[in-house]
Amino acid sequence: MMKQDNGNLLSIRKLSTHFFTEQGVVKSVQDVSFDLHAGKTLAVVGESGCGKSVTALSVMRLIPWPPGKIVEGDILLNGKSLLRLSEGRMRQIRGNDIAMIFQEPMTSLNPVFTVGNQITEAIVLHRKVSVRQARQQAIEMMRKVGIADPHRRIDEYPHQMSGGMRQRVMIAMALSCSPKLLIADEPTTALDVTIQAQILELLRQLQADVGMSILLITHDLGVVAENADDVVVMYASRIVESAAVRPLFEKPLHPYTQGLLRSLPMLGERKERLDVIGGAVPSPLQFPSGCKFHPRCPVGKDDRRCQTVEPPLKEVSPGRCAACWYAEGYE
Amino acid sequence: MTNNNNYLVDVAELKTWFSIRAGVLRKTVGHVKAVDGVSFRIRPGRTLGLVGESGCGKTTVGRTLLRLISPTAGRFLFDGEDVFAASFKRLKALRRDIQMMFQDPYGSLNPRMNIEEIVSEPLLVHRLDGRAKRREKAAELLDKVGLSAEHLGRYPHEFSGGQRQRIGIARALALEPKLLICDEPVSALDVSIQSQIINLLQDLQKEMGLTYLFIAHDLAVVEHISEDVAVMYLGRIVEFASRDALYADPRHPYTQALLSAIPEPTPVKTKHRIVLGGEVPSPSNPPSGCPFHPRCPLAEQRCREEIQSLDPIDPSSRHLAACWKAKKG
Amino acid sequence: MLMQMSNNTSAKPAKGRSLWADGIRRLRKRRLAMLCFWVTMAYFALAAAVFISERTGWENVLTRWNEDIGPSYQAPLATYEWTPQDAEPMSGWSLFGTDFLGRSTLRKTLYGAKTSIAVALGASIISLLIGIPLGAAAGYFRGWFDDIVIWLLTTLNTIPYILLVMAFAVVLRDKSLLGIPLRGMTGVYLAMGLTSWVGIARLIRGEIMKRKESEYVLAARAMGCSSGRIIFFHLLPNVFHIIIINFSLRFVGFIHAEVILSFLGLGETDKPSWGAMIDAARAELARDVWWEMAAATLAIFVLSLALNLFGDALRDCLDPKLRTD
Repeated sequence: MMKQDNGNLLSIRKLSTHFFTEQGVVKSVQDVSFDLHAGKTLAVVGESGCGKSVTALSVMRLIPWPPGKIVEGDILLNGKSLLRLSEGRMRQIRGNDIAMIFQEPMTSLNPVFTVGNQITEAIVLHRKVSVRQARQQAIEMMRKVGIADPHRRIDEYPHQMSGGMRQRVMIAMALSCSPKLLIADEPTTALDVTIQAQILELLRQLQADVGMSILLITHDLGVVAENADDVVVMYASRIVESAAVRPLFEKPLHPYTQGLLRSLPMLGERKERLDVIGGAVPSPLQFPSGCKFHPRCPVGKDDRRCQTVEPPLKEVSPGRCAACWYAEGYE
Repeated sequence: MTNNNNYLVDVAELKTWFSIRAGVLRKTVGHVKAVDGVSFRIRPGRTLGLVGESGCGKTTVGRTLLRLISPTAGRFLFDGEDVFAASFKRLKALRRDIQMMFQDPYGSLNPRMNIEEIVSEPLLVHRLDGRAKRREKAAELLDKVGLSAEHLGRYPHEFSGGQRQRIGIARALALEPKLLICDEPVSALDVSIQSQIINLLQDLQKEMGLTYLFIAHDLAVVEHISEDVAVMYLGRIVEFASRDALYADPRHPYTQALLSAIPEPTPVKTKHRIVLGGEVPSPSNPPSGCPFHPRCPLAEQRCREEIQSLDPIDPSSRHLAACWKAKKG
Repeated sequence: MLMQMSNNTSAKPAKGRSLWADGIRRLRKRRLAMLCFWVTMAYFALAAAVFISERTGWENVLTRWNEDIGPSYQAPLATYEWTPQDAEPMSGWSLFGTDFLGRSTLRKTLYGAKTSIAVALGASIISLLIGIPLGAAAGYFRGWFDDIVIWLLTTLNTIPYILLVMAFAVVLRDKSLLGIPLRGMTGVYLAMGLTSWVGIARLIRGEIMKRKESEYVLAARAMGCSSGRIIFFHLLPNVFHIIIINFSLRFVGFIHAEVILSFLGLGETDKPSWGAMIDAARAELARDVWWEMAAATLAIFVLSLALNLFGDALRDCLDPKLRTD
């Protein structure tokens, strides 16, 4: 798995991020590895607390210390380690090479500055341009992300805009320095479906134009199916399955992925009862022994090995990995 | 449209307006028409799904029915009795029959009360049982929603989101209501927990003969749980139909767009997506004519001037839509 | 992300632990806070001891503050030869020195604790009794009642605090209420209580307004709870920790106010108080008599510091994010 393939823009190798809290060590990310190819979209999907957002923040090196710390592993951007860079160099990378958009477009914009100020600042920070030129570029960016009448709206404050518009502003800011990698952390969770459709459409179109890679963090399997090329499924701080999007949805290998897909109410599909995954996501302070999914797993609940030995993530067929003793092709 | 007693819930022309006040004397300068003429009926033991995007007024409908917000106009007959005309004393009695569960599993339980106090409080408020009996009932209720009596002494912050939502259900069921208004009961939950709660709600409905007004933004969830569905946009119902009719043959362009906008968890794309432009207008300043016309792909001159009432799409149908283009033939 | 984490870290003990118990457990882990707590408690115990001895007529060193123990202005830690009136000459030693009349500074300082704490306690109780109901009702009911309360708050707030307290103290000096003369002590804490409820009312009003819209209050209304039950069982328990924190920090303010009032001659006149001691020390400092000033100041300083540090710790421990998501 350690081969350096030239198509990879971002490679994460055995990443572990822990939080050292009063109650104990919270292992938010454990032994996570994946590759994101240039120009593609990789979705990290999982439920709240599974470690997907911490993975994203680790890539940005924005884990707050204390209490959080990357304790192991490496993050490579174009083959270069991000973890060995100085903080100053990392600041240049953030915004320039990697940009990030967040879930809550209300709180991620500063309410006391106009949106124009904020986009312009992002440009001036990374590009050697005058404020005036930057403002021109900001207007251009706003037009690009589909904000009508950007000359007028550039002087508006965030609270004067709707949620969808603010998310567009966030995207304009993120893309103003044409990053190679965009990390989108639940970019549409706070938005209505019709607005979500607009934003996802916009991201797809921008990706086609600019050729950037997108690391999409989400809990919504529908969004994953329609937007990702590759998928990484996380459960309780670890990757349980990774594959290209089609095979994953057509034939999920891990019981967690299977259960998740089955439990979703789907349009046009009438069932008496929904299938469920019993129980609840375990607390990272009290992870179960062995495979962390075993207490909720229909297959391995009573299996001695699942209860005691955690299955490592293994390639089960070309391009597909799973972490389950019972996954097809695992042993 | 005869009004007979076959309906547990009969809401007619419900309006909830909030006044916008300005100036020193707080003069009313305008209204936010959060709910503007909504009518629907639910038969006992059935579920009506009320869907729409944020700001469409669906939550206000639920809260107005319970008179948590005062209605501006309209009528709500509950089991034949006019709720909006009820005295405060009568209203308290009516609230035994109409209960509500809320969206936010973290905000809807008082963090300073333990589970026993939370679940048995409705019994205490209505002076129904003695202390020991209340405790016993609370334990029974917890058992019913999939928790156990040993949780009685714990506090809300010690539970996960799904468990808290179960506690919310137990509290709502304490008074053995006939109608349960569910305001986005699963939208704050994790995917794997959502289905547990939906199944629980369905089991309880069967067991206790509950009637649900299920308010949600997720059309897939609503499809699963409801018999009838009403789609709201900007304070009005734009389409009302049985579940089968609505999902198989949506007539209103907004419903069509909404259905097509849902990303489906299958990588095989089959449906044609209608991406709506623009955003939901503010209810304080709604557009003239049909409220949907600025975003509607089919809008024409007539839509900008007049508003179509919610009418059957053909004379014999229960399928209603508020659009000129929705009529069959 | 951190929040996701803390969501899961709320580990489940076998028995339920309320947010109160949780906060107190956190507090007990802080050594400095606990030290400050016990220092404060020592002051309270001292005040209580003085109070009880006075009421029961139990003679002890605290109640005999008025006794002459040496010559006038005896420096601390110095031995002296002294002839009291109508008595044999004696020699003695005083730890903290004596005042003009030859009374022990130490005893006066200890007794002063009772004066200060009684005033601060009385003023706090009065201000809470007025502030909490007014603030809660204004925040919950809004409307015309809120307008009136806000008007009162704003009006009282525009008058400089000390001026207001002085005005009250002067007016109340010759009056009596239910047969209790309102001079001295009573006047002081009435004056402070009647003027200082403004802050607590404003705080409570804001907190109630914020929580009034929360879903658990909606849920309570939906199940048919009366307004009174909602205020007392749902809203006030959720702001109670804020009241306590505010109270602990405000207490210091009351002690300072008592000192200032006594200093200005509006407070206690016939019993020792820290304010009166500082007032007396004004003239004494010129004669190099520093110990009375030092003793009173030190007593105030230690209590203020302990209360402040404890109040800060209390805030950190009792005001967790109630919503752990």
